[in-house]
Amino acid sequence: MIPHAPILAIFLPLFAAFLMPVIGILARRRDIKHARELFAIGTMIAVLVIVASMMSEVWSGKILVYQLGGWPPPWGINLTVDALAIQMAFMIAGLGTLVMIYSAAYMRRDTGLSYFYTLALLLMAGMMGTVLTGDMFNFYVFLEIMCIASYALVAFRRDSNSIEASIKYLFIGALGTSFILLSVAMLYGVIGSLNIADLGAKLAIIRGAAEPVPMILVAALALFVAGVMIKVAMVPFHIWLADAFTAAPTAISALLAGPAAVVGIYWVARLPYLPFGLPVGIILVSLGLLSMVVGVLMALTQRDFKRMLAYHVISQKGYMVLGLGLGTLGSVLGAQGGLFHLLNHSTYKCMLFMCAGVVLFRTGSQKFDELGGLGKNMPVTALTFLVGALAISGIPPLNGFVSKYTIYLGGIEAGLPIVTAIAVLVSALTFASFFKAFSSVFLGQRSERFREIQEGPKLMLFPMLAMAMICVAIGLLPALGFDIVGPAQAAAENSAGYISQVIGGI
Amino acid sequence: MVEWIWDPIVATAAILLGSLAAYGLLIAGRRIVKPKPTPEKVKTYACGEELKPDEIHADSEQFFSPIRRVLKPFYRYIQPAHTGALNTYLLWAVVGFIIILVIILLTVR
Repeated sequence: MIPHAPILAIFLPLFAAFLMPVIGILARRRDIKHARELFAIGTMIAVLVIVASMMSEVWSGKILVYQLGGWPPPWGINLTVDALAIQMAFMIAGLGTLVMIYSAAYMRRDTGLSYFYTLALLLMAGMMGTVLTGDMFNFYVFLEIMCIASYALVAFRRDSNSIEASIKYLFIGALGTSFILLSVAMLYGVIGSLNIADLGAKLAIIRGAAEPVPMILVAALALFVAGVMIKVAMVPFHIWLADAFTAAPTAISALLAGPAAVVGIYWVARLPYLPFGLPVGIILVSLGLLSMVVGVLMALTQRDFKRMLAYHVISQKGYMVLGLGLGTLGSVLGAQGGLFHLLNHSTYKCMLFMCAGVVLFRTGSQKFDELGGLGKNMPVTALTFLVGALAISGIPPLNGFVSKYTIYLGGIEAGLPIVTAIAVLVSALTFASFFKAFSSVFLGQRSERFREIQEGPKLMLFPMLAMAMICVAIGLLPALGFDIVGPAQAAAENSAGYISQVIGGI
Repeated sequence: MVEWIWDPIVATAAILLGSLAAYGLLIAGRRIVKPKPTPEKVKTYACGEELKPDEIHADSEQFFSPIRRVLKPFYRYIQPAHTGALNTYLLWAVVGFIIILVIILLTVR
């Protein structure tokens, strides 16, 4: 492991973000081309290497506890890296690197790129912090860093649609973070600690007592669940997502659909066990099912390419929340399926947004009714979109099938076959929706004005092809994915091990 | 456990073999006719009127109109509820929180 790796994974993008305006000024004065893009990509590659250096140690069963300032927990702030956190950190770093490479070509027509990369790196630092921290208040702080950067990035182009979407996202997101802050304050008021392991240990004692759980803890849990659900965009908390993903620059839509989706789901996986340890399985299963159905039915009628993809984000996150909910009802396959679907969905949804971005970049349109026949002009984009469309629809032998199939089995394992039936039906509707999208954009008669349209730039195609290969590779060799999500699922449920390694046991 | 869930190599080979067999049947059943396209033949007509490529695009909202008819209650009530009005959306979030609070109360206490 690289020395100080946990803190470096957070501080490197954070410092790089604040250094970016200086890089921008130097690049302009000395006429250095692509300096900001190279600096951002280099930073993300470094973060990826740092995260990768922690993986073998964590997967061997160890939990890395990094004490800031040498103060032991619960007195000092600590970063805690277990197998669940490392899966999330790896996905953030890996997908973040690919999105930065894509952005280098996609954003080249925009101005103010120093601000763009500053905000994107801040977003990365925030995401990394939320999954690596072992402290509830730090989680809130990193979540705010991440959210404020994403509000600004959604409004980056400053047209009426993006500003409206950003304001909606800001208000609803602020409500979510306020819920979480209130929950953290209540926990601190009752327990007197902010350390997740310490809170978990003390709450276990309260749960073990004969008296009913105090009302204030119930309220704190409800606030925390509602706050996380706003971030995950589960129905009825989903309303910010479609506007934000549609109006944001597509590179940012890909960033929000891929790496940023990780943060909310990380906490959905964590919160049934730590710090609360109270039953939320019914809520997770209900919200997951509702989101799957509403998301896909809304997606079916969309006329806008990115808006359709945005509604599918809601629907697919429903699968993840459903799987994790089934996990709390005793289904190991459900929990593994939920985490596996996060890994898969983040990859192909990022790729699908990138495909939409290439189409928008070349044609200037993201309306289904204006597009058509582009498969002849953009064969690579069409092929990668097809891979993503089949993967998200759960068609074998791609990665989406493996995770969805595991969730289907999880439904049966939990004794809820009706859940499996609904999940299969939603997959069929997802396929129908993507059939429409592929047909509307890449098949059919091509408009005269698109006759000379060219394939996307190579720098945009590279990350798309890399992700398409990941989709095929994990589909053919699902053990690659299970090797990551198996330890992550075990780590999420092992609250006693987490507590003992952080503060030395209950 | 993975092998029990899904053997992807065998399944992929079966899918590819099936696809090849289907393609072989398609090729075997095809009559060989030499195409003789003329500019007039490849044009698209509707009611005797020639249509340009831009005019013959399927309406993306009505693409799956049978599904919309089957799920009429959803599309009549849920879709219009997505008004875009921020205060309505904030109300949804607060109502969602209250529902979660009630469910947790019923489960825990």
